[in-house]
Amino acid sequence: MPFKRFVEIGRVALINYGKDYGRLVVIVDVIDQTRALVDAPDMVRSQINFKRLSLTDIKVDIKRVPKKKDLVKAMEDADVKNKWEKSSWGRKLIVKKRRASLNDFDRFKLMLAKIKRAAVVRQELAKLKKTA
Amino acid sequence: MKNILSSETMNIPDGVSIKVHAKVIEVEGPRGSLVRDFKHLNLDFDLITDDNGKRKLKIDAWFGSRKTSAAIRTALSHVENLITGVTKGYRYKMRFVYAHFPINASITNNNKSIEIRNFLGEKKVRKVDMLEGVSVLRSEKVKDEVVLDGNDIELVSRSCALINQKCHVKNKDIRKFLDGIYVSEKGTILVDE
Repeated sequence: MPFKRFVEIGRVALINYGKDYGRLVVIVDVIDQTRALVDAPDMVRSQINFKRLSLTDIKVDIKRVPKKKDLVKAMEDADVKNKWEKSSWGRKLIVKKRRASLNDFDRFKLMLAKIKRAAVVRQELAKLKKTA
Repeated sequence: MKNILSSETMNIPDGVSIKVHAKVIEVEGPRGSLVRDFKHLNLDFDLITDDNGKRKLKIDAWFGSRKTSAAIRTALSHVENLITGVTKGYRYKMRFVYAHFPINASITNNNKSIEIRNFLGEKKVRKVDMLEGVSVLRSEKVKDEVVLDGNDIELVSRSCALINQKCHVKNKDIRKFLDGIYVSEKGTILVDE
């Protein structure tokens, strides 16, 4: 019930609104009650409103406003990329991205696969109903 | 300005069990159980055990204004009152004050209501029903005293207020006509030395 993910230096967050939608960033400093300074290995350090961030469970061990090199090293040590891609939230986002990038042929193949799977499930269900 | 976090904790004594769920606090102890609902407050209630293993109740206010930060301590006080109500109980004593006409009070309805006659010589009989869980007795040994007992401080004190308000003097100078039934003592049933 109490809060478990806090805004702190080193908290990894996901941007959920704006130009950098979907990007994983690290909170590097807190500017005031509404804004934070965020940084990621592939972007320019910039300020962002807390409302545009969704906090994750991952934390990185850094000092306030580290140099880019130190940030990258700390992110490697904390293994952010792997942790994120293994977490259920990260996996769901990857699946969403894949689904959005399907072309028409892929969607056709997907439809066939779904039909096949549904047929197998229905067969099993009919067998269970018969014995019940 | 908004304080990012203001929080306070209080110790929970042994002998009481507290349940907190969705801002409804239920306290159970030797004298019974009491429930209080804090849904009108914007606070987080938490039961934690601190480093020494003692149980505590922690109340947080995130980004609170002055008023919500002030509400933290009052909520703790309300919980403290629940705890003492359930361990010691509350006993409020009221005295009859009259100059000429003796106030005649009789306890009816198995200690659940009081009837007041001859207040200022009036023919009107005033009947006051006690609230739930509150019992009223005529005090032996002390003349003109009435004792109200109960677990919930809100109900006991409100019953006292109801009795007091029924005996207000009308159309007279109240500085001269000081008759009435007044709360003389607020205490607990079990007194520890």
